[in-house]
Amino acid sequence: MDGGAGEQPALLEGAAATIRLAFPPEPRLLGTVRLVVGIVARKAGMDDEAIEDLKVAVSEACAVAVGDLNRAGRPDLVELDLVEAPDRLGIEVRDRAPAADRQPHASDADGEIDLDDRQLGLALVGALVDDLRIMDLEGGGSRTSFWLRRGPELPPPLT
Amino acid sequence: MDLDLNVHKEGDRSVLEVAGEIDVYTAPKLREKLIELVSEGSYDIVVDLEKVDFLDSTGLGVLVGGLKRVRNHDGSLQLVCTQEKILKIFRITGLTKVFPIHGSVAEAVAASEE
Repeated sequence: MDGGAGEQPALLEGAAATIRLAFPPEPRLLGTVRLVVGIVARKAGMDDEAIEDLKVAVSEACAVAVGDLNRAGRPDLVELDLVEAPDRLGIEVRDRAPAADRQPHASDADGEIDLDDRQLGLALVGALVDDLRIMDLEGGGSRTSFWLRRGPELPPPLT
Repeated sequence: MDLDLNVHKEGDRSVLEVAGEIDVYTAPKLREKLIELVSEGSYDIVVDLEKVDFLDSTGLGVLVGGLKRVRNHDGSLQLVCTQEKILKIFRITGLTKVFPIHGSVAEAVAASEE
């Protein structure tokens, strides 16, 4: 992995990413991505449940990007930003896969199974995080962003 | 990151113990093992997920594929899982309605014999 470049992500709106990763679209690297995300989340003070939710959500979003890039036959790096805010962590995943290659992923090779991993993966992300947004990037590719709270909801302030 | 798979028999039931992380990289290994079991004539399978640290949508797809395969032979696929982080993935995706999920291998084996 190495540092990623590219345009300023919309999620950050001028703030610097706490961590920025870029990695080739190889499924074997998703475990490493989860390790890094887990460490960052732990250091940010997230509780165990939130850390697990974050690891699943980031892994799914990155797996979709990896699958789309592989289908397109493109070696472009997947870029991942993790942004710390006082009460939450922001995530942004970017890839350069053409929209035409965002097809259903079948996990079962014999084609009998009608479960679409890509759709299921994104649905899982949507259920675990706040404010999931998926946007097309100018020139091809997509940007997936979301937030996750760092811990249990804070009680309302005393008056 | 790796996925360890071990199979043992409980009567005429095959128990597949899975340890490690199930994701888009490792799920093909699990799929191949399930296909192998069914091709060998094991149609009642218990998949023990107690030592699984991570499960993603690809892994869910492979388990659904395994379920369809055993059902084609009037068999069953029972899961063993008590880990909240893994159960949560089944609940969110609605697959708790598809898979029988048990608290122990003994319970799963007993259920598959009913």
